[in-house]
Amino acid sequence: MATKKLAFVVRSLPYKTEASRLALTHAISSQTVEIYLNDGDLVEASISYVGDGVFNILKNQQAGKHYGITTNEGHAKNTLLLDLKVLICKEDLDKFGLTEENLVMDAEDLGGDMRANIVSYNEIQKEMETADHLLFC
Amino acid sequence: MKLAVLMSDYRTGSDIVDRLSAEKLGIILVGNGVYHAAAKEGGKACPILEKKADFYALTEDFESRGFTADKLDSRVKAVNYGDLVDLIFNDYEKVIWL
Amino acid sequence: MGKLTIGTFSSLVGSMSLDFAVKLSEAAVKKGHKVDFWMSGNATMLAKKGQKAFKDYSFLSKTLQEMLATGNFNITACEACAEARGYHKEDCPDGFQRKSMDWYLASTFEADRVLHIGGD
Repeated sequence: MATKKLAFVVRSLPYKTEASRLALTHAISSQTVEIYLNDGDLVEASISYVGDGVFNILKNQQAGKHYGITTNEGHAKNTLLLDLKVLICKEDLDKFGLTEENLVMDAEDLGGDMRANIVSYNEIQKEMETADHLLFC
Repeated sequence: MKLAVLMSDYRTGSDIVDRLSAEKLGIILVGNGVYHAAAKEGGKACPILEKKADFYALTEDFESRGFTADKLDSRVKAVNYGDLVDLIFNDYEKVIWL
Repeated sequence: MGKLTIGTFSSLVGSMSLDFAVKLSEAAVKKGHKVDFWMSGNATMLAKKGQKAFKDYSFLSKTLQEMLATGNFNITACEACAEARGYHKEDCPDGFQRKSMDWYLASTFEADRVLHIGGD
């Protein structure tokens, strides 16, 4: 019985490329990975938003209306609904003048009880150090 | 942690590298990342080379872009794909792509 | 010998990052390592048979088939990403698999090293 920790680090802007969206959907898929593993073995994913990546979790994304696709906001909310650990870099929020009022911080409206954590970059560095593998997107 | 950063771009990624810290850090310049090893702006070498790290550049990407070995910054070691595999498995525990 | 899992989103034509991933896999397999190769997003373009070699474009099919023949190389495409691009099961080259994203995460469980090329 073992648990492998994967740290997804989202650093790219949404929509022009699929990179950040795929980071979220891959992280979400950690919830069903057991079908490939032995009993008791787990893969645990966390998501950290750094640099430009913090724009993926802005509220009020209207990609559904304009592009006809699901929003990264919606995927971000799903990660919280599924109890994934979510970290957001405070220094990068400060740089862009963003506060938690602007961001997807929970999935309470969908029945989730997890909250995203706004943390200093040092905490994200620690998350990377404790992870078995790092996946930058 | 012992971290290898595969740097594939010239204009982006430096913001991430600046903040990364690791007990052992390797910066492996691949793709357009090799410009860090040879391009000079205002006559100055790329600031990323000041970082406390071991630097490598993938020879085939370096040569494909018109550079010759004499243009490789003295802080950077030329490697091939086989060397890269050995670095990843033997010298570092985690690998990221920027 | 170790296991390397590579995941990539980069496209076959229009980016050289997928070439990098294939060449790194080739070097690892030649050294006796096992490689799991996961394609998501535009990288699923590599999981389409019938590709022709043109001098202006990368042609990786031959290298992939040689690696598959060693038995130490596994190549798998994201099924949904492929379907979204019009690549169906019958379009998949011999030896390639199609799975959902959790296959990739499961592959990382036993991997000694993971390289995730999440750009382009």
